[in-house]
Amino acid sequence: MIRFDNVTKIFGRDTAALERVNLEVEDGEFVFLVGQSGSGKSTMVRLILKEYEPTAGAIHVRGTKLSSISRRRIPRHRRNIGCVFQDFKLLPNKTAAENVAYAMEVTGQKSRQIRTKVPQILELVGLTEKMGKKPAELSGGEQQRVSIARAFVSQPPILIADEPTGNLDPDTSVGIMQLLHRINRIGTTVLVATHDKEMVDVMRKRVVALDEGKIVRDRVKGAYLDEV
Amino acid sequence: MRFNFGFFMREALKNIRTNFLMSITAATTTFICILVLGVGLLVSSHVEGIVGSVQQDVNIEWYLPSDMNQEEIDEMENRIGGFPEVANVSYTSEEQALTRFQETFSDNPEVYQDIGEGVLPASLEIQLNEASQADAVADRLESEGAAPGELNYPQQTIERLDAATGYMIWGLYGATALFLVSSVLLISNSIRLSIFARRNEIEVMKLVGASDGFVRTPFVFEGLLQSIVGATLAALVVVWLNLLFVDWSQSALPYMPVASGAVNTLFILFALIIVGAAIGVVGSFVSVTRFLRI
Repeated sequence: MIRFDNVTKIFGRDTAALERVNLEVEDGEFVFLVGQSGSGKSTMVRLILKEYEPTAGAIHVRGTKLSSISRRRIPRHRRNIGCVFQDFKLLPNKTAAENVAYAMEVTGQKSRQIRTKVPQILELVGLTEKMGKKPAELSGGEQQRVSIARAFVSQPPILIADEPTGNLDPDTSVGIMQLLHRINRIGTTVLVATHDKEMVDVMRKRVVALDEGKIVRDRVKGAYLDEV
Repeated sequence: MRFNFGFFMREALKNIRTNFLMSITAATTTFICILVLGVGLLVSSHVEGIVGSVQQDVNIEWYLPSDMNQEEIDEMENRIGGFPEVANVSYTSEEQALTRFQETFSDNPEVYQDIGEGVLPASLEIQLNEASQADAVADRLESEGAAPGELNYPQQTIERLDAATGYMIWGLYGATALFLVSSVLLISNSIRLSIFARRNEIEVMKLVGASDGFVRTPFVFEGLLQSIVGATLAALVVVWLNLLFVDWSQSALPYMPVASGAVNTLFILFALIIVGAAIGVVGSFVSVTRFLRI
C-alpha cells in the first residue's frame, strides 16, 4: 500500500531528515510511526502526501511511484489519503458540517450525496449535535473528530494521522484512537505518527520507530519502547 | 469535473462577508484608482475636444481693398465658396465690422471712441475644412487677386498648436497609462494582502485534495465582485463629475469650447468598469497562485 525504498530527504544543504528509509505498509494495516520530535515522522507523512519530494529513493503509494505524479495530478493523489493533523487544520469560517462537506465538494460530488453523507459521518464520530458549530466553538477533541470525519468522509483507502492526539488530554486521546481503530477495522490502512507513549502501548499494533531519520525498530505487536 | 458556478459564488460571497473589512479595503483601493484613472481620461478627452474645435475654427480673413465694389465682392464670395477646402464664406461689411468691434469692447468705450467708419475694412471670412489647408488656400486667394498683406490667417500659430497639442495629448495618455500600471500594482497588492491573511486556509484546502482551480475560483470571484463594486462606483462618480464640469464650464468659461460631446460617457463608464474588473480578476488570480504551491 505504502512503500519507501531507500528514501533520503535532506533539507537545505546538509540537514538530513530521513536517511535511507525502507518501509512497507500492507493493505489494511494499522501502523504507529514513533519517535521524538525531529526524528523524521512528519517528514515521512509529508512525503507520502507529496508535499515534499525525496532527495533520493522512491516512494510508492497504491502501486504508483510518487515521482511520476505530475503537479496537476497531486489533488487526485491526495484524495486517496485521508489526513488528520495535530493542529486539526479545519477551515475556521466553516461549520463542522461544512468542513466535512468541503472534502466531498473538492471531488465534485453531488450535493444530494453530500447532504446524506455528512450527517452520517458526523454521527459516526459522535458530533451530530455540534454539526452547526464553527471550529472555535468546539473543544480540541471535538475539532479532531471533525478533522477525522473530513479525512474519512470520502472513504479513502489510506488514512494518515500526524500527532492526532498531540494537543489533546489523555481521556480525549483514547476516544480519538478508538475512532482510528474503528476506521482501520473496516479495511482502511491507517498510519499514525505519534510520540504518545501510552497510546502506542495500549493499542498493541505494529510500531515503526524512527531516530534521527533512520528506522531503528519495526515490531508487529510493539510498544513505544521495545527493547531491540 | 463540472464547474459548479453556484458553489463558487456562494463561497465567494461567504468569504466577503467573513472578511468584510478586507473586502472593503480592496473595493476602496479599486474605487480610488479607477476614479483617478477616469479623471485622467476625462481631462484627455476634453483637451482633445477643445484642441479639435480650435483647429476646426481656423479661418482666413481677407481684408478687402476699399475700391472693390459690391458686385466684385459677391462674385468673389461665390468663387471662394466653391473651393473644395472651404467650408463656408461669410461677408462682413465695414459697418458690421465696426459694430462688432464696438460690441467686443462695449465695456471700454474709449477704445472705439475715435474709430469711425472706413477705418475697419470689410472682409471675407473663409472657414476651412482643415487647418493644414490654410497655406494652399492662401496661395489660391493670392492668384485670385488678393494682395499678401490683405490676408490674415494664423498659419504659424496653427503649426505650433498642432505640435504642442500632439505632445500634450501623448503626455496625457502616457500619464494615464502609467497610472493604469500603478493601479494594477496597488489593487493586486491589496488583494494579495487579503489572500495572504488566509494562506493557511489555502494550505488546508490543498491538503484535503482540492485542485488549484477549485481553491482559486472563489478567490477570483471575490476579487471580481470587489473590484466591480469599486469600479462601478468610481465610474459613476467620473460620469457625474463630467456632467458637473461641462455645466460649470458653460457658464464660467464661455470662451472655452468645452463640449459634452467630447466625452463619450457610455464608453468611459464601461471602459472603467471593465478595466477595474479585469484588474480584480488578474490580481486575485496571480495572488492566489503564489500560495498554491503546496
